Amino acid sequence: MRHLLLGNEAIAYGALSAGVAVAAGYPGTPSSEIIETLLEYRDRFVQWASNEKTAVEIAYGAALAGARALAAMKHVGLNVAADPLHSAAYTGVVGGFLIVTADDPNMWSSQNEQDTRWYGLQSYIPVLEPSDPQEAFKMAKEGLMLSEALEHPVILRSVTRVSHVRAPVVVEPPAPPKFGKFARNVERYVLVPQNARRRKAEVLRRWDSFADLSSRFLSIEGDGEVVVVASGVGYLYAVEALERLRVKAAVVKVGMPVPLPKKLADVGAGEVVVVEEGDPVVEMQLRAMGVKTRGKIDGFFPKIGELTLRSVVEGISKALGLGVRLPDPPTPPLQPPPRPPYLCPGCPHMGTFYAFKIASAGQKVIWSGDIGCYTLGINTGQQDLATHMGSSLGLGMGIAVADREKLVVATVGDSTFYHAALPQLIDLKTKKVPLVLVVMDNEYTAMTGGQPSPSRSVPAERLAEAVGVKHYVIDPADLKRSVEIAKAAVADAKSGEPVVVVSRRPCTLEALRHARRSGFKPPKFYVVADKCRSCGICYNVLKCYAIAKLPDGKAWIDPSLCSGCSMCAQVCPYDAIKPTEPEKVGKWLELWSQA
Amino acid sequence: MVTSVVIVGVGGQGVMTLARWLGRAAMAAGYDVKIAEVHGLSQRGGSVEVHVRLGDRVYGPVVSEGDADYVVAMEALEALRAFRYIGGNTVLVVNKRVIQIPGRYLDPEQVYKALQTYKNLRLVPAFDIAMKIGDPIYENSVLLGYLAKLLGVDERVDWLDERNRRAFDEGRRLASGDLQPSASSMAS
Repeated sequence: MRHLLLGNEAIAYGALSAGVAVAAGYPGTPSSEIIETLLEYRDRFVQWASNEKTAVEIAYGAALAGARALAAMKHVGLNVAADPLHSAAYTGVVGGFLIVTADDPNMWSSQNEQDTRWYGLQSYIPVLEPSDPQEAFKMAKEGLMLSEALEHPVILRSVTRVSHVRAPVVVEPPAPPKFGKFARNVERYVLVPQNARRRKAEVLRRWDSFADLSSRFLSIEGDGEVVVVASGVGYLYAVEALERLRVKAAVVKVGMPVPLPKKLADVGAGEVVVVEEGDPVVEMQLRAMGVKTRGKIDGFFPKIGELTLRSVVEGISKALGLGVRLPDPPTPPLQPPPRPPYLCPGCPHMGTFYAFKIASAGQKVIWSGDIGCYTLGINTGQQDLATHMGSSLGLGMGIAVADREKLVVATVGDSTFYHAALPQLIDLKTKKVPLVLVVMDNEYTAMTGGQPSPSRSVPAERLAEAVGVKHYVIDPADLKRSVEIAKAAVADAKSGEPVVVVSRRPCTLEALRHARRSGFKPPKFYVVADKCRSCGICYNVLKCYAIAKLPDGKAWIDPSLCSGCSMCAQVCPYDAIKPTEPEKVGKWLELWSQA
Repeated sequence: MVTSVVIVGVGGQGVMTLARWLGRAAMAAGYDVKIAEVHGLSQRGGSVEVHVRLGDRVYGPVVSEGDADYVVAMEALEALRAFRYIGGNTVLVVNKRVIQIPGRYLDPEQVYKALQTYKNLRLVPAFDIAMKIGDPIYENSVLLGYLAKLLGVDERVDWLDERNRRAFDEGRRLASGDLQPSASSMAS
């Protein structure tokens, strides 16, 4: 049966058909749907972990005990899990251990575009690379079985254009989960230096044998004087580009780019064109084998961003000296202004940012940000940095001790707080760094589609209390009270005390979904045009996306976007913003807080 | 032969759903299909773009600049932004609606006028029809009906519920050249 599946769904079904029993991951675009799909299968242990390291460790431990296990994350997440990853190659595993990472070239929703395949070379772990959802299904299944056969972890590298491509996929039914039993093997599993040294020799011995194994994932299509070596999604672009250019070529399709099979050393007597997504990982290995290549290293294809049919057509044309240049695309008759992403209308973070903006007015503030929806605080000028998970408190502490004249307000979402900020919270207390840590708690990992965060079972203020840091809790939809408490927190930090403010209200989108399901229609707000004095507080300071500025400066609320949060009515100094159904406002805020 | 469709709009409008449903309709009509989605940053408010390619055998999932057969915009400013996908014979289908950008205001009539300089424009009142059916969320089903008719994949859409089906039929009717929304289906 063919289903129209997302690459990530196909990966989940592939793992299921291989009898995966344990799976863990941390949400991150473009990887989240792998665990989301597996969560439907209750006969297995499938969990969102608090971060990628924990996820990899759960799967690694399960595989040591002989289970078939999978860990899923986005490319940058593998950095967080890099420590256990490298050790996993040294100990090897007993069951199957598949690490799935989804890379995000062009950084559609990431802070860098690193190529996971380097991790394969660095940690001595083979990497499989599918080109489309059908292959993703197949390779997830084969990867898990291969890992078990080799007693060695295997990485499956996806990219945005595989993970988030939907295509017809033929799937096989799930196999029963294979759990296991742990058998002691101290020499293998306890990596004290003496044992680790022995294991390194074993890893290298295995690595040599993997090079031949990867020929299983190699196929050659067509023939011609030109030889194109293509890996992953690069294969699809290469086939289409060759068709477009009417070039007859032998296409060597590489399914396991790390390590490359030694027999590729004989490929093509002349120069080989290499098409791959990300860094020149295949090309570099080919050069190390003595093959002459034309690819990214010498600039035939761009080193930045995703492959596109255009860049591959032009790259192959350049590499073969065909002189084909595609015409420039047309320009629009009217240049539309950029539409940067904004916080959703009614986002609780909108209220949190507003409260801290008012509370810190007149102070020199460094807004130390983090990775999540709330990075969009950049639109109100309240994000001065956001570099990686945990940058808010981590870098914020460094800035606070280096630049003592400024006030640091570190903003972190709930999911990121549990992911990265907990050990930092301990440093905050023990080093007594004076700053305000704002936990923007909307009880979901909202940016990746609303996965549950640990917020409800482990409230952030309880952790602050346990650590011994002063803390407050606010409801950001109550702006007056939020501003008061934000002022108190700012005063605490100014007096030299670290302080935590947990700002809690569930994600608006989740609340709206709940309301829709229960048949409740939230109220809307509208602007009484006569009363509006064009002050712009609602659209300039609160920056609600649903509020447009009319040509005369007055505000207008788009009823199709308004979520009924009431924050604009609270900030309006002229009482010009009213609800359509006043009796519903309180009920809605109440329902929302329970979403 | 592969047909390339680029669908654009604003986060929250149901761009992904439109693309997914179009893909299902194409698959039901016997085509191979690839849909390239980008999700993540823009739940609400950002520019969203999805590519759908259908044919006997589809390789690349992404449509290149100047290469689209159809550009479908759920919002008029996004239609302008998607001009780079337009080639010689591209049909540009635009929902007659402007979603303003915070802090800016563009006169919708000026936007439509700019769009009308393009010969193959079809301005579709999907938003108005959706509002008459009772909720803006149906505008993507109007566009689905319109597009499915143009592509000849409008036969099997059995997953649509009653109101989405009504929106779909309105869109289909508009694409058939009957430019007046029918009175019967408008009564809600």
